[in-house]
Amino acid sequence: MGRFIARRLLLLIPILFGVVTVTFIIMYVIPGDPVLSLVGERYDEETLERLRGELGLDRPLALRYIDYLGRVARFDLGRSFVTGRPVMETITERFPRTLTLAGAAMLIAVAGGIAAGAVAGSGRIPWAGKGLMALTLVGVSIPVFWLGLLLIHLFAIRLNILPPSGYGGGSIRYLVLPALTLSFASMATVARVTRAGFLEAGSEDFVRTARAKGLGEGTVMGKHVFRNALIPVVTIVGTDFGSYLGGSVLTESIFGWPGLGRLIVQSILRRDFPVIQGAVLFMAILFVLVNLVVDISYGFIDPRIRGEEVDE
Amino acid sequence: MIRRFLSITVSLISALLIVSCGGGEGPPALRLALQTEPTNLDPAFAVDYSSGWVSSLIHSNIVRFEPDGSISPDLARSWTVSGDGLEYVFHIYGGRFSDGGPVTAFDVERSLTRLVAPSTASPRWWVLEPVAGVPDFHAGRADRCSIEATDDSTLVIRLENPAAHFLNLLAMPAAGIVASAAADSLGRDYGRSPTGSGPWRLESWTSGDEIVLERNLFSPEAGSGVARISIRLIPETMTRVAEFEVGNLDVLEIPPAELELWRSAGVRLLRRSEMRIVYIGLNNEKPPFDDPRVRRALNMAIDVEPVIGHLLFGAAERATGVVPAGLRGSPLPGPLYSYDPEGAVHLLEEAGYPEGFSMEIWQRENPESGRILESVQGFLARAGIEVKIVTREWSAFKQAVDRGTPDAFYLDWFADYPDAGNFLVPLFHSQNRGGGGNRAGFADAAVDSILDIASGVSDPAARWELYAEAEQMVMEAAPWIFLWFPVRYEVVSHRLEGYEIPVIFNGQRFTGVSLK
Repeated sequence: MGRFIARRLLLLIPILFGVVTVTFIIMYVIPGDPVLSLVGERYDEETLERLRGELGLDRPLALRYIDYLGRVARFDLGRSFVTGRPVMETITERFPRTLTLAGAAMLIAVAGGIAAGAVAGSGRIPWAGKGLMALTLVGVSIPVFWLGLLLIHLFAIRLNILPPSGYGGGSIRYLVLPALTLSFASMATVARVTRAGFLEAGSEDFVRTARAKGLGEGTVMGKHVFRNALIPVVTIVGTDFGSYLGGSVLTESIFGWPGLGRLIVQSILRRDFPVIQGAVLFMAILFVLVNLVVDISYGFIDPRIRGEEVDE
Repeated sequence: MIRRFLSITVSLISALLIVSCGGGEGPPALRLALQTEPTNLDPAFAVDYSSGWVSSLIHSNIVRFEPDGSISPDLARSWTVSGDGLEYVFHIYGGRFSDGGPVTAFDVERSLTRLVAPSTASPRWWVLEPVAGVPDFHAGRADRCSIEATDDSTLVIRLENPAAHFLNLLAMPAAGIVASAAADSLGRDYGRSPTGSGPWRLESWTSGDEIVLERNLFSPEAGSGVARISIRLIPETMTRVAEFEVGNLDVLEIPPAELELWRSAGVRLLRRSEMRIVYIGLNNEKPPFDDPRVRRALNMAIDVEPVIGHLLFGAAERATGVVPAGLRGSPLPGPLYSYDPEGAVHLLEEAGYPEGFSMEIWQRENPESGRILESVQGFLARAGIEVKIVTREWSAFKQAVDRGTPDAFYLDWFADYPDAGNFLVPLFHSQNRGGGGNRAGFADAAVDSILDIASGVSDPAARWELYAEAEQMVMEAAPWIFLWFPVRYEVVSHRLEGYEIPVIFNGQRFTGVSLK
């Protein structure tokens, strides 16, 4: 297990090197000039040149690349072209908010999704199962944008029980609607996968054996069916959580949630290279780490997988 | 030493006052929203709308704009201008920075010199370009310019040539006065924690979420009916509307499409013609648009009125000139180009394009302009012109337009200050081709010379006559497809009193508003 983790962590180095290089190249290939977002509507060429010099954009590309690699290796992400703030500071300020939103959304998705999937998959209440599955179909197809506005309209304007938008200094009331919006698609997928897992595991030999040896239905479901149905769910949750950690642009925009997603989009629109590069790098690290955690957790759920990894 | 002692004492007393007056609930706050977050509150670097707007609440200037666009005293309580229009003497007293220190003429000199100093590298240095010696000083060819404090309360500024709009320049956000000590010690971080002498001071800034301003108790303007301003940063229009509907905002700009809805909703609706013109710039240096007949034909081929009626829901006035109604010495002329598709075809034949031609119109990503350009596309198709609409996001769009790549582009121009010259000079003087504002690349020596003469004429009526002449020449040359002057609508909450939409964006400082 230790060797497995160490090897995966070592793999981070080439991955991050690739991410840095690809982002760097894309930055300079796409049209648009970062200094143009610093000068407003009216400027002269001399000012552009001066700013280019100040930001180091007048130096050869290769030199800038080597310089950037060197700084990244020293954990120095530089300063934003536009605001002048250190990139690290901006990211560490935004990330906890994104983490809160992603965490809350995942919690809702897992709790709601597994419950719905289990009810539908166990086949105990057939009409509820059908209804839930129809709902999940809506869940995976509904555009986030529309759902967010609907929730705002219902809970903020009609019922007036939750604030329409904002961060509210971390107050949980402000978290409910964006988290619900963000969780919806994942919740629906989790529910469908859980149901499929339940149906599949339910017809396995070992479940029949468990029933045959006289185990209670609760134990059969909880210990044998549920555990086996959980593996694909963990994969989905891990992937979704990993991508939510990079910020969720639409949800953040609708609810004015000050997370990483909006920061990245704004930076791309302004060609704020240091922030884009820093944020993409940060996201890549997170994504790899979350996937690592997912892989490790398989082992805990299913000892067979753990065995394979160790044997390897 | 004494000054520092005094300022500390004053701070302590006012802090005590605030503590003793404060209830458990906190004072009433004016609640506003911005679509985009400011990037930098340093006047020298505040180039976007949001930054300039917030920076202007925190920094005072020598003179300032009133909501109606007129100039009124700010740090300078009075001033005199020499007979030749070259020397301005400002009498500066009474202002205090939010840290309690007084604002002297020396502070003003330091702050304005900082704006134009080469080491600052401010993209807005051009605001003081008319001042004698500034271009050389900025380029590093001279070690000073003609901005000089002669004592604590007297500031003398000499101009290179008479410039009738000079006071307007001093009221722009870029000419905001910073506390030099803070600006020097903070360097690039000043834009995040500014110290000005305006009516408000920055209390907190939660990135991406909210900016809170508190009254600058040292400011002579501070006696307003509002103790705090909360500025929420909400990118989505629909979300801002929802926030207003539940009563969380006091002012909301209304998208034109929602106008009818709000009109019937029984709220207080305010209206203001904007100092802004919307146009389709034609690349005057590129065939076939280098031929004025082609450009005129394009103007004749489009029926602007129904576009305003159906797509903008009437929230605009047709641009039959280039200077908006509020800045004119005479009414807007009648339309020079009335809708005449057959006339347009004849004119194109005359210019050698009997079969028409195809062209690209570039726009930045924006659903509203997309709909407008589709209708333009339809009109031009009837004159035999095939239009391809090219969409780019802002940065790529701006780069292409400033380099003169597109055949034509859909764009607008905001006045920085209320003066006809702020439309005609940047937009049509050949010196300003490209990034200077004249993105169509229009060049006409006669127009240039009239504009040059006009900027030195101080009598408003005589100046307007020259501007009207230049405007007429521009309209005839048709460097653009002239579209409209937008009208802005805002709704305000029932508890807000004394608010009006400012003519110039930094003309409303919320010192005259109160909350019921």
